[in-house]
Amino acid sequence: MASVVLRNLSKQYTGNTAPSLVGLNLEIDDGEFVCLVGPSGCGKTTALRMIAGLEDVTSGDIEIGGRVVNDLPSRDRDIALVFQSYALYPHLTVADNMSFGLKLRKVPKDEIEKAVQSAAKILDLTDLLKRKPAQLSGGQRQRVALGRALVRDPAVFLMDEPLSNLDAKLRVQTRAEIAQLHHRLQATMLYVTHDQVEAMTMADRIAVMNLGVLEQYGTPRELYNFPNNLFVAGFIGSPSMNFVTMHVNRDGERIHLTGVDAGSSMRVTLTDEQSDVLAKSEGSEIVVGVRPEHLKEGSIDRAGFSAVAQVQVIEFLGNDEHIHVTSDDTDLVAILDAHSTVAIGDSVTLSAPHDSVHFFDPTSGLRLSQSS
Amino acid sequence: MANIVETTDLTPRRRGLARRLGTRGPANIVLGLIAIVWLVPTVSLLVISLRPEADFGVSGWWKALLHPLSLTFSNYHVLFAQGFVAGGLLDSLITSLEITIPATLLVTFLACFAGHSLVFGRWRGRDIVFLVVVGLMVVPVQVALIPVVQFYRELGDLFGLNPYGTIPGVVIFHVAFGLPFGIFLMRNFMSGIPKDLLEAARMEGAGEWKVFYRIVLPLALPALASLAIFQFIWVWNDLLVALVFLGGNLHTPLTVFLYDQNHELQANYWIISTGAIVSVVVPLIVFFSFQRYFVRGVLAGAVK
Repeated sequence: MASVVLRNLSKQYTGNTAPSLVGLNLEIDDGEFVCLVGPSGCGKTTALRMIAGLEDVTSGDIEIGGRVVNDLPSRDRDIALVFQSYALYPHLTVADNMSFGLKLRKVPKDEIEKAVQSAAKILDLTDLLKRKPAQLSGGQRQRVALGRALVRDPAVFLMDEPLSNLDAKLRVQTRAEIAQLHHRLQATMLYVTHDQVEAMTMADRIAVMNLGVLEQYGTPRELYNFPNNLFVAGFIGSPSMNFVTMHVNRDGERIHLTGVDAGSSMRVTLTDEQSDVLAKSEGSEIVVGVRPEHLKEGSIDRAGFSAVAQVQVIEFLGNDEHIHVTSDDTDLVAILDAHSTVAIGDSVTLSAPHDSVHFFDPTSGLRLSQSS
Repeated sequence: MANIVETTDLTPRRRGLARRLGTRGPANIVLGLIAIVWLVPTVSLLVISLRPEADFGVSGWWKALLHPLSLTFSNYHVLFAQGFVAGGLLDSLITSLEITIPATLLVTFLACFAGHSLVFGRWRGRDIVFLVVVGLMVVPVQVALIPVVQFYRELGDLFGLNPYGTIPGVVIFHVAFGLPFGIFLMRNFMSGIPKDLLEAARMEGAGEWKVFYRIVLPLALPALASLAIFQFIWVWNDLLVALVFLGGNLHTPLTVFLYDQNHELQANYWIISTGAIVSVVVPLIVFFSFQRYFVRGVLAGAVK
């Protein structure tokens, strides 16, 4: 087991104008499960491959277990990588696939046997050890790929979107299995995914990346409750957070926000604390973010967001329904419970309490209230 | 269609046969005819080799099919009984093997190494080198004969090692002209091997040699087997190169041996037919023993 530290890690591919990774700083504690998440092309896989030793470091340092490994070949870094494609050796049986690395390291036969058996037991592969990869289902192949990493007992597990080739049901099941595996092994794991749900459900900490830059690094709760900027706010949570541009007005002692259009029904009343924070933006426009799950039907008498909107689309999902509404040409999504009686074309009042309203600077995209 | 099958009173087996003849019958008949036409020369050669020498001038070979009991192995017996004398059938057979086996092994191995390096190596200019190799494929053997003979002679003058007229001289020539196609084949096949597999193996501690030997080579086996068969048959059937480069050598390969049986006014047809059948048997053995490596879909299950 070991910690992983990235210091100002950058990657510039020759021939590309924009760098793929810009000064990434990340500390992964011993035994921690960290997810690197972001849209495609955000540099998360590049970062992982650099840690794995499959890509050269342009600048910066990679430290594994307190040792800088920049120029160390992959095989000496004591890491295991689970590939997105699994990369199983098709000509070898499951058992041989799993023992390949140990055999190369000249581990005694009985030890290899023991390691393979115990990994197979953990991953429920015991009956499949004699099969070839072609004879396995997608989920089984995925488990073999995990098993191949497991038998080596590496200091750090790296996983590159290991669930993306599985169907939805199997993905949920395997997600739980990987989380369980982490709990059981207490191993350091770095997991790359583009799926924020995977990241939220499994990770101890999440690093959100965009365009080669780390946007925010924190626990799932921190990212959800206190997103640092518009990108993180929009990326974490499903459906995405609603963003509305609003005007900051002073009304005597108090600051409040109104819709940009004249006669808009959108309005945010602020607490004293929020009022202090937004006072410096008086007279200008800011971006207000409200998560769909925090919007409720009806008005509130406390401070918070409220708007009157017309219902355009209703998506019934069983236990709740997503309603897509328009208010002053702004599209909003709200999650209402399934007993709601709203119908398409209705005019509804939606509101959210003050503690679930986020404020962002429209030019920098940064969060405007004091964080946590 | 389904109704017809149900109402006709056929056993399942006959129904299957009927359907097969109904849909594939014409195609099978055409293919059968082509196969027969294709096989006639070989069959006639076999029959001639099994007839007494005296019969050859008397009647056509097909007459022998009416009297199968008149067929005899005496021609084979006579040729094999000569033993390993220079210029004999057995000696030529051995010479052919001496040329073909090293030429085949060298080409397959070198082409595998080259393919690996061209696909998975990390050096600049791999694509250009590959293009040059592809370009070399169009050079006909005939234009290179005289320059190579001269080159061999230069080698002899400079180092006292003239490969001209020797078996290694022929082998080197065959290897040089077999390699471009071999490299082309292996490189293209290996480029279908997912890079993830190699990265996985490297991460698990495999050096380049282990990656080649344990991952790439087993996966490239189908291409390797076809290359080996092609190369073997080309070299085995070569007359021109052997004729040019083995001038003056007492030991000649089978092709030259058979060629030598043609004389200006007459030919030893009994020797030609018998020797030809012997020379057909060896490539057939090679083909059928390598055939089992033509496993399709050997990469299935590697990724996804």
